[in-house]
Amino acid sequence: MPRPFLSDALPRNVRCAHSIIANLRAFANPNRYSSALHTAPPPPLPQNGTAHPHPHPRISTVNDEEIAHFSRLSKLWWDERGEFTLLHKMNPHRMRFIREKVLEVLREDDRNDDAVALRMRDSNRLLNGLDVLDVGCGGGILSESLARLGANTLAIDASAENIHIASQHAAADPGLSSLSFRHTSAETLLQEESKKRFDIVCSMEVVEHVNNPAAFLRSCAELVKPGGHLFLSTIARTPLSYLLTIVAAEKVFRLVEPGTHTFSKFINPDELIGFFTKPLNEGGRPWISRTYAYGLPTRVEAEVRGIVYVPWRGDWVLAPRATTPLSTQANYLFWIRRPKENV
Amino acid sequence: MLLRGQNSSARYLLRRSQSLSRQSSHALTRLYHVTAAERAGQKECDIVIVGGGPAGLAFASALTANKALHGSVEVTLVEGGDLSKVHDWDMPPHAFSNRVVSLTNASLDFLDQIDAWQYVDAARTCPVEDMQVWDGISGSRIDFNAVSLGVGRGPGSTQMARLTETLNLQRGLLRHLSQQPNVTLLDNTKVENIFNDDIPGGGWPMVQLSTGGVLRARLLVGADGINSPVRTYSKIDTYGWDYPTRAIVATLLHPPRTFSPNTTAYQRFLPTGPIAFLPLSPTSSSLVWSTTPALATVLTKADPAILASMINAAFRLPELSVRYLHTRLLEHPSLSPDDLRAEIAFREQAHAIAPYSAHASANVNPDDVNVGIPDQGIDAVPPLVARIQPGTIASFPLRYRHAEAYIGTRTALIGDAAHIVHPLAGQGLNLGLGDAASLARCVGNAVMHGSDIGSHTTLAPYARERYFENHKMMSAVDKLHKLYASTAPPVVSARSIGLEVLNELEALKAGIVGAAGGESNPRSSPSSLWGTVTSGVETLVDGARFAKVVGSGLKSIAGGVLQQVARAAGTGPGEDRRG
Repeated sequence: MPRPFLSDALPRNVRCAHSIIANLRAFANPNRYSSALHTAPPPPLPQNGTAHPHPHPRISTVNDEEIAHFSRLSKLWWDERGEFTLLHKMNPHRMRFIREKVLEVLREDDRNDDAVALRMRDSNRLLNGLDVLDVGCGGGILSESLARLGANTLAIDASAENIHIASQHAAADPGLSSLSFRHTSAETLLQEESKKRFDIVCSMEVVEHVNNPAAFLRSCAELVKPGGHLFLSTIARTPLSYLLTIVAAEKVFRLVEPGTHTFSKFINPDELIGFFTKPLNEGGRPWISRTYAYGLPTRVEAEVRGIVYVPWRGDWVLAPRATTPLSTQANYLFWIRRPKENV
Repeated sequence: MLLRGQNSSARYLLRRSQSLSRQSSHALTRLYHVTAAERAGQKECDIVIVGGGPAGLAFASALTANKALHGSVEVTLVEGGDLSKVHDWDMPPHAFSNRVVSLTNASLDFLDQIDAWQYVDAARTCPVEDMQVWDGISGSRIDFNAVSLGVGRGPGSTQMARLTETLNLQRGLLRHLSQQPNVTLLDNTKVENIFNDDIPGGGWPMVQLSTGGVLRARLLVGADGINSPVRTYSKIDTYGWDYPTRAIVATLLHPPRTFSPNTTAYQRFLPTGPIAFLPLSPTSSSLVWSTTPALATVLTKADPAILASMINAAFRLPELSVRYLHTRLLEHPSLSPDDLRAEIAFREQAHAIAPYSAHASANVNPDDVNVGIPDQGIDAVPPLVARIQPGTIASFPLRYRHAEAYIGTRTALIGDAAHIVHPLAGQGLNLGLGDAASLARCVGNAVMHGSDIGSHTTLAPYARERYFENHKMMSAVDKLHKLYASTAPPVVSARSIGLEVLNELEALKAGIVGAAGGESNPRSSPSSLWGTVTSGVETLVDGARFAKVVGSGLKSIAGGVLQQVARAAGTGPGEDRRG
C-alpha cells in the first residue's frame, strides 16, 4: 500500500473534519472510503518529446471499462430527456460558474479597469479568442456552450463513439465554427510537439471516471497556461452522495444508467484542495498557497461550489458562495487558477 | 428597415461567404458543416417567428431589447399579411377601430421595459380608473376604484389598466421593430410547409416560404394564431370547446360626462353572456358583447340605431325585460328603431323607471343628458350611446383552446397559438404578452450561458413558467362565464352574496388590486388583478368562498410555497407532450 501522499498536507482542522466524516462512512465497505487520489501512485514522468502514434499512450489514465460504458450510451447524449437529462440541466449552471470565475479573475487582474469587466459582464462572447480545452467532452454538451461564448474550443474524449456523436451534433449547428473535436487523451495532448497550452481547461464529471486521478489532474493542470483556469466538477465521497447518486439516481429512479458511477472513485473537495496545496512537479510552486477555515483556499486561487439537484424544481441550484461545506456533500464544482509566472 | 421579400439576400450572401471563409481553417473538423451550408436556397436563422400579431411582434421586440442578444441572435419574422398596412395605419383622432385591448399594468411595464411603449400613440389610449361589474339577474355589484384602492403605475397614476386599439399597439411594436438591427421582417410571405432537415445530428425545423426560400430555424416560434402551422408541425394537440356565443364589437359614440371622466369600464353579466363597455376617449367607447349567435346575427345586420338602443337597454333594464327584448327582436328582425324604442319605453314604464332616471334610455335625447344635474345613480351605468361609428360593427366566435404543450423540438408556442380564452376579462392579449416576456427571458439566459436557444433545456423553463399560470387564468375566466350563464336561483344568490361580500371587504379588494399594481414582478402573471378576482369566483364555485378570505391573510406566508408546488405541478402538461 503506497503511502497516502495527500493527507499529510491537509491542515489539522480539515483532517479532523475528515476523520469525523470518515467515521460516519464506516457503513460502507472499507475500500469505499479510501480516496482514489490517495491510493494512486505518483505517475512516472512522461518521456519528453515522444509523440505516440496510438491515441492513448502507455501512460494513460483512460479506463477501458468506463470508455466501453459511455460508448454504449453515446447515441443517447443528445436526447435531452433521456439518459443525460440531468447533465443537460446542469450545464447552464456549470457555465454560470465558469462565467462568474472568468469575470472575477478579469476584475482581479485589471483592478483599475472596471470598464472592461463591466462590458464583459453583459457580453454573450465572454470567452472570445480564448483557447479552451474540454477534456472528456462526452457528447459535447459543455464544449458547444464554450464555443458559443466565443472560445476556440478543442474538445477531446477517449471514446471514439462519443467524438463521432459530438462532432456530428455540432456539425448540424452553423454557429459552432470555433469548435473542433479530437479522439485523444489529455496525456497524448501533453506529449505533442506543438506544446499547445490553454487559457481554460475544463474537465466536467470526468475525474471520477479515470484511472489514477492524480496523474489525470496533473496532466490537465499541465495543459493550463500560466494564469489560466482549470475547472473540474465531480462528486464528493460521502454517505449523502452515495444515497443520491448511486442509490437514488441509479438504482431507485433510474435517472442514470446503473453502473455509471463508482463510489470509491468519488473525490472530496478537501482532497482536491490538498492535492493542489502541494507542488505538482518537483521544485514547482503549489497552486494553492494557503488555506483558511474549513481548509478553504482564498477565492482568487481556488474555489469549491456545491451544486444541488432540487427534484421539485426539476433543476439544479448552484449553491451561493458563502454556504456551509454541507452544500458540497454531493455534486460540486471546482475552480483553480494556475499561478502566473515570475510573480 | 422594413425588409420585404428577398431584399435581405445580398446581406445573407455576404454573411454566408464570411462564414465559409472562417470555416476553411477548420475544414478538417467542420466537414459536415460545409456540406450543410452548401444547400441552395436555404438560410440559417437563429429565431424564426411565424405570425406578426401582437404576441409575435412583442416577442421580437423583447428579443431586441435584450442586450445579451445583440450581435448574436438574428430574428426573422414571417407574416402572411401586409405589415405596411399596420405600420402606416392611421385614423382621425376621434374615430377608433373596433378591436380594443386592455393592457394590465404588468403588461404596460413589460412594454415600457422593452422600449416599445413610446412608439404607441398615447393619445389613443385610455386609463381604466374604475371598474363596475354586476350580476345581470340580481344586480349585485362589485366596484373596483383605483383611487380608493390606491393602485397605479408609480406615484400619481391611478390606473388599473389601459385600453387601446389592438392596431395602435401593433403599430407601435412594428415601429419599434423597424428601428432595430438584427430583425428581418418578411411580410406578404406565407409559410407553405414546415419539415425537418435531414442533416445527421440535426433535425431542425425547415420553414418553406411562399416566396421560394427555406429558413432553417434554430428556434421556431409559433405566434400564428388558432390554426397554428407551427403547432401542427410540432404535433401538439389542443383541447377546448366553442362557446355557444358570439362577441359583437363596435365603437360607440356618446356625449361626454359632466362630472366624471370617461375612465370607468362597465360589465354586466347577462345569462346570455357579458356585455362590456370600455372607455377609449371622453366621447368614444368600445363594446364587447357576447351573446347568442342568433341575436348576434340580427344585431350586426340590423340598423345601427337598433344596436345602440339595445346596448343602452342591456345596461339598464332588468334582466326579464332584456330577455323579452331579445326574443322580440329575434321574432321580428325587421323591427324598426322607433318600434324598438316604444317597446323599451313601455318596459321602462312597467318597471317604474322615471323618464329622467339614469336607467331610462328610450325617450332620452343623448345630447340633452348633460343638461341640469344628473341623476344620482348616473355613475352606475355607462353613458348613453348616441350613435355607433359607421363600419365598426362586427362579430366573431368565442372559443376556449389550450395547447397540450407549449414547446416541441426546437419550437415554442406563444399567444393565441398556445391559448385562446373568453374575452370577458380582457386577458387574452395580456397572457400573450406574458408569454413573449417569459420566452424572451429564457432565450436571454440561454445566450449568456452559451446554451443552444432551441434546446429543450432552454425552453423548458418557459413552459414551466407559463403553462400553469395561463391555465389558472383561463379556467377561472371560463368558469366565470359559466357561473354567470346560470339562472338557477341558488346559483344566482350564492354568486350574488359572494360578490357583495367581496365588495364590502375593502382590504381584500385592495389586496386583490394591489397585486396587479404598479410594481412589476417579471415572474408573476401580467394579469394578477383579474387572476385574483376570477380565482375568487372560482373558489366560490367550489363552495369555499370563506377559505379565500382567510387564505389571503396567509397568502404572504404560504404564497411562495404554493407557488413552488403549483409550478412543479405545471411542469407536467407544459413540457412533456411532444411528437
